[in-house]
Amino acid sequence: MLPDPLFPIANFLAMAGWLVLALSPLSPRWSDRVAGVAIPLILSVGYTALILAFWSRAPGGFDSLANVMALFTMPQIALAGWVHYLAFDLLIGAWIARTARAERVPHLLVLPCLALTFLFGPVGYLTFTLIRASRSLPAPLVTEPR
Amino acid sequence: MTSLAPTLPDLATLPGPLARMRQDAPLFTALGLWMALSLVPTLAAMAIDDRSFQGASIWLKPIKFQLSLAIYLLTIAVFARWLPETLHRSRVFQAYCTVVAVAILAEIVWIGGAAALGTESHFNVSTPFWTIAYRLAGVAAVTLTSASLVYGLAIWRNPVTGLPGPLHLAVALGLLLTFALTVPTAGYLASNSGHLVGTPAPGDAGLALFGWSRSAGDLRIAHFFATHAMQALPLAGLAAVLLLPETRQRLAVWLAAMAYAGIVVATFAQALAGRPLL
Repeated sequence: MLPDPLFPIANFLAMAGWLVLALSPLSPRWSDRVAGVAIPLILSVGYTALILAFWSRAPGGFDSLANVMALFTMPQIALAGWVHYLAFDLLIGAWIARTARAERVPHLLVLPCLALTFLFGPVGYLTFTLIRASRSLPAPLVTEPR
Repeated sequence: MTSLAPTLPDLATLPGPLARMRQDAPLFTALGLWMALSLVPTLAAMAIDDRSFQGASIWLKPIKFQLSLAIYLLTIAVFARWLPETLHRSRVFQAYCTVVAVAILAEIVWIGGAAALGTESHFNVSTPFWTIAYRLAGVAAVTLTSASLVYGLAIWRNPVTGLPGPLHLAVALGLLLTFALTVPTAGYLASNSGHLVGTPAPGDAGLALFGWSRSAGDLRIAHFFATHAMQALPLAGLAAVLLLPETRQRLAVWLAAMAYAGIVVATFAQALAGRPLL
């Protein structure tokens, strides 16, 4: 009943995805297919299966912090939560790689954003957005305040 | 070039037969494909879920319905090419198809939702909510089955299907038989308190995949054969057109239809008598 073996499998898949993104300049098309489509989809199937199988038996709920913490006392739901992070962080990582390529952001600037997204999801997204904004804001707005 | 969308495969360039189905019945083709693809998460759920119902995984029932509804939808989508052109363009018919699709979606959400919640779908009158859901699901079931009647009548009356006469007859008869035989067999099944007649022997795991009882009467058997008339009869018609002299083909189709209806009646009577099929 306890899906312990799923944890290392999910971690391995996510790690593989991030490695592919880090190397994405070698083959942007394939890195996007693998890290932006295939691996997030596999993780999503696992997540959906966990929710279908265990959500109705989980304690807690979404309505208070105490209830959210109670949710994660159930190992299967904690695993689902972890897979949720892995899947969505990787999706954002793939989006960053894709967007950076389209907007010609140098890969050296993208790498720290990917690392931050891998470790702390929203921090990496925020960092990339700040980089994009500072590159694309019209110069007068930045340098000539009225 | 600078698209921000991920590089998903282009679904407009599906292989030939699917492209034709999508052209004739876009909604049923899409819903049928979705239904088949949705087997991936439910099969995964079955692999990790330890809950069982009547001796089988709680997910077996949703999986059977996903399979069955996918086959139903994709069969209908194949047959759509033989509908009259005027019907294809009719707003009323398009609205009707949407209602059928919604009924199918509601049916699978009800069955899958009940499984996820660890409760029964059919025969569940434990609370007012599930009682109402079961009644509404009955309406949805009749609605989705009515598509075989509508298709059967429309194809029957269409003089320009391009099919050889006996095959045209077999396709229309199959669809009409699906409706005419499913409504009474499934209706009786639903009005019963469960699918079994009599008490199964201890340890009876049922027939593989189907789960039909091997020691008691099982009303689902007649429902199964009734519903698959729409595939069986066209296959019989195809065999007749390929193998028999032209003068015998029509008669053979009519005989096959009667024999098939006979099988449904026989399996139904056998279940009512409390006897297993095998």
